[in-house]
Amino acid sequence: MANVVIMPRQGQSVESCIITTWQKKKGDPVAVGDILFSYETDKSAFDEPAQVEGTMLEILAAEGDVIPCLDPVCIIGTPGEDISALLPKTGESAAAATEAKPEETAPKAEAEATVSESTGERVFISPRARHLALETGVDLTKVTSTGPHGRIIERDINKALDAGFTATTEAVEAFLAGRPMPVEEEPAKAETPAPAAAPAAAPAAAPTDFRAYDEEPMSNIRKVIAKSMHASLSEMAQLTLNSSFDATNLLAYRAKLKESGEALGLAKITINDMVLFAVSRILPHYPEINANLIEGTFRKYKHANVGMAVDTDRGLLVPVIFGAETLTLAALSANAKTLAGKAREGKLTPDEMSGGSFTVSNLGSMGVESFTPVINPPQTAILGVCCTVNRLKADGTVYPAMGLSLTFDHRAVDGAPAAKFLKELCGALENFDLLLAK
Amino acid sequence: MPKSQFVDPGKVFEPGYIDFDSIPLCRYNKTIEEEKQLYSKADFLRIYHDMRTIREFETMLNEIKVKSEYNGVKYNNPGPAHLSIGQEASAVGQAYCMDIHDFQFGSHRSHGEILAKGLSSINKLTDEELYDIMKEFLDGTILKVVEGKQAKAGDVKDLAKDFLLYGALAEIFARTTGFNKGLGGSMHAFFIPFGIFPNNAIVGGAAPIALGAALYKRANHKKGIVVANSGDGALGRGPVLESLNFASMDQITKLWGMDGKYSDEGMPILFNVFNNFYGMGGQTMGETMGYTNPARLAAGFNPTEMHAEKVNGYDPLAVIDATARKKELLLNGQGPAFLEVATYRVSGHSPSDSSTYRTPEEIEAWKAADPIPAYRAKLIAGGVADEADFAAIDEEVVNRTVKIIKLAIDDEISPRMDLSKEPEMISSIMYSNQHVKSMDETREPEVLIPKEEDPRVKQIAGKARYAFDDKGEMIPKMKLYNIRDGLFEAIIDKFYEDPTTIAYGEDNRDWGGAFAVYRGLTEALPYHRFFNAPISESAIVGSAVGYAVAGGRAIVELMYADFIGCAGDEIFNQLSKWQAMSAGILKMPVVLRVSVGSKYGAQHSQDWTALCSHIPGLKVCFPATPYDAKGLMNQALNGTDPVVFFESQRIYDKGEEFHKEGVPEGYYEVNIGEPDVKREGKDVTILSIGAVLYRALDAAKKLEADWGISAEVIDARTLVPFDYSKVIESVKKTGKIVIVGDAVDRCSVMRDMASNIAEMAFDYLDAPPAVFGSRNWITPAFELEKYYFPQPTGIIDVIHEKLMPIPGYVPTYNETELEHLDRAKKGV
Repeated sequence: MANVVIMPRQGQSVESCIITTWQKKKGDPVAVGDILFSYETDKSAFDEPAQVEGTMLEILAAEGDVIPCLDPVCIIGTPGEDISALLPKTGESAAAATEAKPEETAPKAEAEATVSESTGERVFISPRARHLALETGVDLTKVTSTGPHGRIIERDINKALDAGFTATTEAVEAFLAGRPMPVEEEPAKAETPAPAAAPAAAPAAAPTDFRAYDEEPMSNIRKVIAKSMHASLSEMAQLTLNSSFDATNLLAYRAKLKESGEALGLAKITINDMVLFAVSRILPHYPEINANLIEGTFRKYKHANVGMAVDTDRGLLVPVIFGAETLTLAALSANAKTLAGKAREGKLTPDEMSGGSFTVSNLGSMGVESFTPVINPPQTAILGVCCTVNRLKADGTVYPAMGLSLTFDHRAVDGAPAAKFLKELCGALENFDLLLAK
Repeated sequence: MPKSQFVDPGKVFEPGYIDFDSIPLCRYNKTIEEEKQLYSKADFLRIYHDMRTIREFETMLNEIKVKSEYNGVKYNNPGPAHLSIGQEASAVGQAYCMDIHDFQFGSHRSHGEILAKGLSSINKLTDEELYDIMKEFLDGTILKVVEGKQAKAGDVKDLAKDFLLYGALAEIFARTTGFNKGLGGSMHAFFIPFGIFPNNAIVGGAAPIALGAALYKRANHKKGIVVANSGDGALGRGPVLESLNFASMDQITKLWGMDGKYSDEGMPILFNVFNNFYGMGGQTMGETMGYTNPARLAAGFNPTEMHAEKVNGYDPLAVIDATARKKELLLNGQGPAFLEVATYRVSGHSPSDSSTYRTPEEIEAWKAADPIPAYRAKLIAGGVADEADFAAIDEEVVNRTVKIIKLAIDDEISPRMDLSKEPEMISSIMYSNQHVKSMDETREPEVLIPKEEDPRVKQIAGKARYAFDDKGEMIPKMKLYNIRDGLFEAIIDKFYEDPTTIAYGEDNRDWGGAFAVYRGLTEALPYHRFFNAPISESAIVGSAVGYAVAGGRAIVELMYADFIGCAGDEIFNQLSKWQAMSAGILKMPVVLRVSVGSKYGAQHSQDWTALCSHIPGLKVCFPATPYDAKGLMNQALNGTDPVVFFESQRIYDKGEEFHKEGVPEGYYEVNIGEPDVKREGKDVTILSIGAVLYRALDAAKKLEADWGISAEVIDARTLVPFDYSKVIESVKKTGKIVIVGDAVDRCSVMRDMASNIAEMAFDYLDAPPAVFGSRNWITPAFELEKYYFPQPTGIIDVIHEKLMPIPGYVPTYNETELEHLDRAKKGV
């Protein structure tokens, strides 16, 4: 009896996933636990292990296909088995096709309607100019239209190209679809520095093309980050308060843990864990900061669900420590470690990455003294943790000052309460041992 | 306007009378004893057999239509069936006199006529000839169906009767085994090997075509006569009256002989009117006409009164007597002739006819006079045959009819065209696309002088075949080989190559054509190859159709394109359709020259390419240079398809500005369907149709000089067929196209092209294809034409408004979309 493998649903809000790689080919033997294929949601990547043993009889989706969750993706069974009943109806019989069609098209039309509803103004551009724009990746925001009725025509694209305005194909597509062009967080074009060995080969080789580049489509995660970050900046009234606290106490406590915590299993508690801990204790005092603002409605969380920004190969991911205010420092630290590990391995579930009420982002380890963290919508604030610098007290003594940057959405929170939150947090961190006692 | 005929004012005003001879009405009065001298028993019985065959065939069709059943055979025929029950004696009497070389043309009510002519031909052909015809026709397709199934084994004539009835019925039932593969149908069935030529669903449509076939016989010295059958209703139609006049014109007997050099015989055509008193429902005598008898009409056409006569069409022997006498007149060169055959159809116009226009008493009275029983009674009374003879014929006829219908409705034996399996079957017969230098290679063309002695040929020899001299200066017009020279060269070459080639139209001879294209032909060609037609556009075009159907090649001219309307049916229903309606059996080597005027106001300045291009089956050319004019005319004249050849009076005197090596003196062809890039460019494409080419080039020059815009100019040259490849290629390069022409914008070929280009090159377009034609007005006076016909400035305006706004450009005309919206709303 053949088994149909379906696209798993990774979290309540996930409707479809993209198949990134097939690990098994048609005809391959399959053992339980073998990875069949890898797939991504818009936020995370997963491997799907086989639940049954057998032979890969049919693969129903290609790499790069977007498959609705719970739809079949492959069939495992015994070679020679009749699987025709399990194959999706592709309209081989005309009658079946006509019957199936209306059902298929209806939701599509709905989806399209939704898209156009949520998009901005329509872009008027000639088919030829559109073609050229996609081909060349011109930055359409830099194009001035000169065609009839303000239509963008070929010569307009050429003019922008001559001026060197380029963007990614995705950005052009987004613009043509009526969406704003995503902001580039990194340099758009991968730099290709001349190889070190180049000088030796130089005389014979053709002159280096300094305009050469590799083109690479944006990953799903990158797209989501881009979209979310741009939306964050364009839709909120963000501003950042910078402050610092005397980290003497905090660093001393950390040293103590490192020295003697081994036996208790506390040696791996980091400064960041301690900041998270402090944040989780202060947040409940500030309901509008421990909140989401969604279309004019505050979602004030009853718990401190603290998101922690984790840098991964795939991009920035923000897993959430739910109910952080209920956890001991040790528990919180362990939790944070698990989540960071999963994030790096791309194994976070979407549910682990949504529902945060506040986020902490730490660039301190990189020596950043102060920065402007960007709020993770629909949250109302984010805390940036900076590095420690030595400062002079009025009495001439030196102390380690750790910087904190709080970005908040002025639509949700006023300056005074935000400053008050930051002050309280600084106080709590300066007296970390007292906080622990609470 | 021959100079030999002096129009003398002294004689013109002489007093006197026109005398008319009496027209005989039903004067036949021979007794059966007298007729026995002429006919054997077999002849008498054959006449009965043929009438009975037609009656049974049509009775069968009527029962199928009305009851969906005939003698137990069930069938549903959704197609038309215009029956002639009651008219059998008229048809059989006529056909009895006709030989295989005599052509018959008919109307939409011609089942009886074609069967009668077919049966007559079967009787006259030898068994060997018959079998060869059946074997060769459509590669024996029809023969295969009927062979081996005949009642009298080994009897070729019996087999041929099956063949005839089956071929006709399968055609009526739209089967591929019909005479025209089912593409003609009930009203268009014909079979040329038996001398049965196309019948016509357009009332009176066959008259000019039959005239053309007679012209073919007359001009090519062919045997036999042509019979143009029509009903009395057709006598109200202009093309029929035009044909009666055309056939009667004096020049045929007075000028065509050329002092004994050539034949001076009259036109060998019999206009035969089956007067059944009703044109569908309108009663011609007493209601819709004033002639009291159709025969009266003929009296006005020439002094012989076309030998008009009325005969009793209910008596086959009377019809034979009259038809034989008319045929003799025609063979003696005294044509044309006119015969009114009084008859009556007791069946309705069609099976759905409830006869609201006539009384039951009238129908009963005619049924009582039924020609078939009357003839049978006459023969019995005269001791020619007995009841048993007739009963045997009746049985044979019914058995044959039952057998034939069973074969014709069997989908295995008689399949319909399968357009799902062969979707391009009809496409493949829309044109014949052949190249035939001469339609009759057995004869030498009749000419008056060697070609090189022709004064026009000599004059052209001294002309510059390229428009510019070594210094790039334009050569003066008088010394320049121009478009009319290009047309002339192609045409005179064909006259010296193809003996069947013939040209006529208004003011062709002596005058040399209103625009001098034909100057020099009068000196070279005898009258019967080149003559002035009466001002009868229907007859001019319709006769060309008949001329081609009969086997010749015709060049006919309508002086102005505006006169296309006068020949509407002949161009749109006849010239265009017969190749396909005959399933490719007929060829239509006809070039119809039409000239687009200028300076001549609303009814003499119209480019009607759209009308001709709209009709499937025509090819449409519109050259604008001497090279293209000659090359396209060569291909048109060498082909076998009908070509409507548009010319423009604005540019007849244009020299060759594009081919530096000049227009070749020898033969070459320009492919019909292939546009030509006249100027290369990269920013915008201008596709021009006809004479507007030169204005498009002026616009291109100005765009380059004033605005640095490089325009590519493509000359369409041909409208149907049209190969879009070059245009699409150009649009891929420029992204922008404006299509210009002198036709009014609405529903023009330009609009059609714009829509096709938009579909074919959408992704390459930088703007929707723009169209710039004439305004949707009447053509105003010459002085106002610049507000009507596209001008270079307007072309640039359109490019500026619709394709690529030119910075700093100030348009002269209002070509904005808002303005066009408003114009469309007002219908102007």
